Amino acid sequence: MKRIIIATLALTPVFTFAGGFQLNLQGIKGVGMGGAFTGLGSDASTVFFNPAGMNNLLGHNFTAGINYVTPSVSLQTPETANINQTSPNATPFHFYYSGELNEKMKFGFLVNNQFGSTSSFDDDWQGRYIIQNISLKTFMFQPTMSYKIHDKLFVGGGFVYTYGSFSTEKAVPVGSASTTEGKATLSGSGDGVGYNIGLFSNIYSLKKETSTTDFRLGVSYRSQIAVDLPNGEVKFTDIPVSLQEKFPATTTFVSKITLPSVFTAGLSVKHTKGNYSLEFAYDFNYTAWSSYDTLNFDFANNDTPDSKTTKDWQNAITHRFGLDFTYKQKYSAKIGAYYDNSPVKEGYLSPELPDMTQLAYTAGLGYKINETISIDFSYIRQSAERESSLDAANFTAKYNRKVNVYGIGVNINFSCKAKEATPTAN
Amino acid sequence: MQTLKYLSIFAAAILLNSCLKTDFDEFETTTGSANFSKFVSVGDSYTQGLQDGGLHNEYGQQENSFPAIIAKQMGTPFVQPLVSGTGSGYMHLAYRNEKIEVIKAYNDDITDNDPEAIHYDPSYNYWADTTVTYNNLGVGGLNVRNVVSKNLTQALEYHTYLGTTHVSQGVLAWNGVGGQPISSYGRFLNFGNINNRIEYIDHVKSSNATFFTNWLGVNDAMSWAKSGGDAVSGSSEQTNPIEFREKYDTILAAFQKMGAQGVCANIHDFTKSPLFTTVTLEKVKKDIWIKEGADTTIIRKAVPEDLILLSASSLIAKGDGLTQANPLPHQQVLDKDEVIIARNHIQQLNAQIYAAAAAYGYPVVDMYAFMEKLNAGVTYDGIALTAVFIEGGAYSLDGLHTNSRGNALIANEFINVINASFGSTLRPAIVGNYRGITFP
Repeated sequence: MKRIIIATLALTPVFTFAGGFQLNLQGIKGVGMGGAFTGLGSDASTVFFNPAGMNNLLGHNFTAGINYVTPSVSLQTPETANINQTSPNATPFHFYYSGELNEKMKFGFLVNNQFGSTSSFDDDWQGRYIIQNISLKTFMFQPTMSYKIHDKLFVGGGFVYTYGSFSTEKAVPVGSASTTEGKATLSGSGDGVGYNIGLFSNIYSLKKETSTTDFRLGVSYRSQIAVDLPNGEVKFTDIPVSLQEKFPATTTFVSKITLPSVFTAGLSVKHTKGNYSLEFAYDFNYTAWSSYDTLNFDFANNDTPDSKTTKDWQNAITHRFGLDFTYKQKYSAKIGAYYDNSPVKEGYLSPELPDMTQLAYTAGLGYKINETISIDFSYIRQSAERESSLDAANFTAKYNRKVNVYGIGVNINFSCKAKEATPTAN
Repeated sequence: MQTLKYLSIFAAAILLNSCLKTDFDEFETTTGSANFSKFVSVGDSYTQGLQDGGLHNEYGQQENSFPAIIAKQMGTPFVQPLVSGTGSGYMHLAYRNEKIEVIKAYNDDITDNDPEAIHYDPSYNYWADTTVTYNNLGVGGLNVRNVVSKNLTQALEYHTYLGTTHVSQGVLAWNGVGGQPISSYGRFLNFGNINNRIEYIDHVKSSNATFFTNWLGVNDAMSWAKSGGDAVSGSSEQTNPIEFREKYDTILAAFQKMGAQGVCANIHDFTKSPLFTTVTLEKVKKDIWIKEGADTTIIRKAVPEDLILLSASSLIAKGDGLTQANPLPHQQVLDKDEVIIARNHIQQLNAQIYAAAAAYGYPVVDMYAFMEKLNAGVTYDGIALTAVFIEGGAYSLDGLHTNSRGNALIANEFINVINASFGSTLRPAIVGNYRGITFP
């Protein structure tokens, strides 16, 4: 056990965390443990992390949580000493259900926000011709099944329906006698489908007289999801009369936003002795951000020049580590860290999403009120800096970003029969 | 109880960690080895802040001359002889029959002015107080050869050209042209009288500059080219490189004597400006007949290498140049041979600028290279700028002078060289905050 702790401490500073516009906030317990949950499967959030993990859960399990994300982002350009983003705080939520159909089959369902991003700036900021504000929201709905192939091996999968909405605003560099620039406001929504599959194994359990050590493994794959925006609307305002054919008051656009696939392999080791248990978890994420290669808006109005932005993001790896210490199966404390590699290459860093490679820290607390209900709290601290350019716009800036994320969640479990307490119940 | 304890520890940890201050510190602008306390600019219309074929300031066009933008970044006072009202008159855009049209400035010498043509302001006759000491000494049309007269003949010619005090102000113009100088852009300076004439170089000498920009020389090459490449019909001749060097040296010697630091700038290839590149055979899609020069009788079909001036577009619209019998006048075309002559002349004068600047130890802002880059198309904070007439966004409606946004680009190029040469940390201007084209 000591060795595990030392190994963890030695590893964490080497790794860090970033995330494109993926919201890795999908379970309060997991968040407290650096986001590592794929090899844990100890509450209904496994419907998201690893559908196969549902076979660890007894009875009917509900997990719901909400995060309060408070970002603070400042920029410095060669021209301007300090620019603060005016991005609002965000509150992504999640809801999971996992229930027993029979001893071998489980059914689950989820609703959550797996991707999202909001950035906004003052209207007169230096980069307003690149971005004034942008918002992407996604809602995922996933009916899920899992099946026990063997006492130690489960398989699960779900169909994912995604609804996404997108809006953005930027300045148009055309002025008139009464205006210095115009504005383009784009908004659209659409949907897409995908899947989420996983394997879970309670691979080994070492039982001694006074202690038990459980080893678990999980692998999951969430597919790419293309969200089509077939009926986007664009409004041009403050456009000089002579240019209103090119930039009409309203026209429509077609676009598509591709959400990346995520492959995760995770493991956990839980050592229980008397009233105490200590659990270590690790997840390896491979997010195929290369699917986000361009962001194009094709305008219905022929005179309006179509907008094509090369994103050229790259696939990114994230390492997640977490430790949980539980006393009497009632009180728990968690710490974690994750090292997130930014998918955004040098020369492609846009002020709309100043992503950075970073090491972030997490913490969590849990309290089991009774056999039915437990609550969890989580906290994430991100703090990173990056200097890079958006070459296509000839815009260079230093970015300083700090984010606090506060999470609260509740778990409700109705076991039909008082079965033998499973070692996975937290 | 224990939960409460855990929770309070957790809350405390959050509070400790919750600092979200991400602000960057304010810039500290340093001057390095330079002294910007008295910043003076000498030059021509590019320095004076002329746009759209005139001096006007209704949206801060003259106010945002490129040296004024530099001065703002230096944080140093910069007095300019600003026009008021409609200034000297200027070109503007109108939207008629779903088309954007360029409306020329009102011209007293013709009878068919556009009803919307903008006339010069009544105040323009006395637009500036000649007793004020200005930081911006840019005079539209000024050649290097005009800065100092070698003899009385030159003096008469140059003072006629530059303008002098007005008859209407009670001072008889000593040049004998009755107070109507060819260039009205020098009216803010006192050029003295016939018995006690004040030359442009005298204004430089008495400027007490601690720092200067000198972007003179463009007109020495451009005046000839923008009137179709001939000196016979009354337009300026191309300045001889030797005379150019002599007079360029007198400017730098004057600055050196007063202990000023500063930068010079060389001559850009103005034949790549919209004035020369907008009317093309490709766009006209017809044969254009041209007369080659004042002293030739050659009338031929234009080839792509001939540069037809922007002003020819209204003539072509009227049917001129479409037949051999009615060719475009030679003043409207910089023919292919004249293009080569103009470009060679730019190179000759630039060699003199580099040699003179090196001799006096002043750095040179390579405007030639910079304008090549701008003409090829640049992007700045997401704004794309090209040399395309009107929609390109960097040039004003005269097709030669940059608009305020283009001036900010030029100012930033000067600032780069100033910082690199004197170790200062002047910040570039935000290009997007300066006006581009004003559309109707």
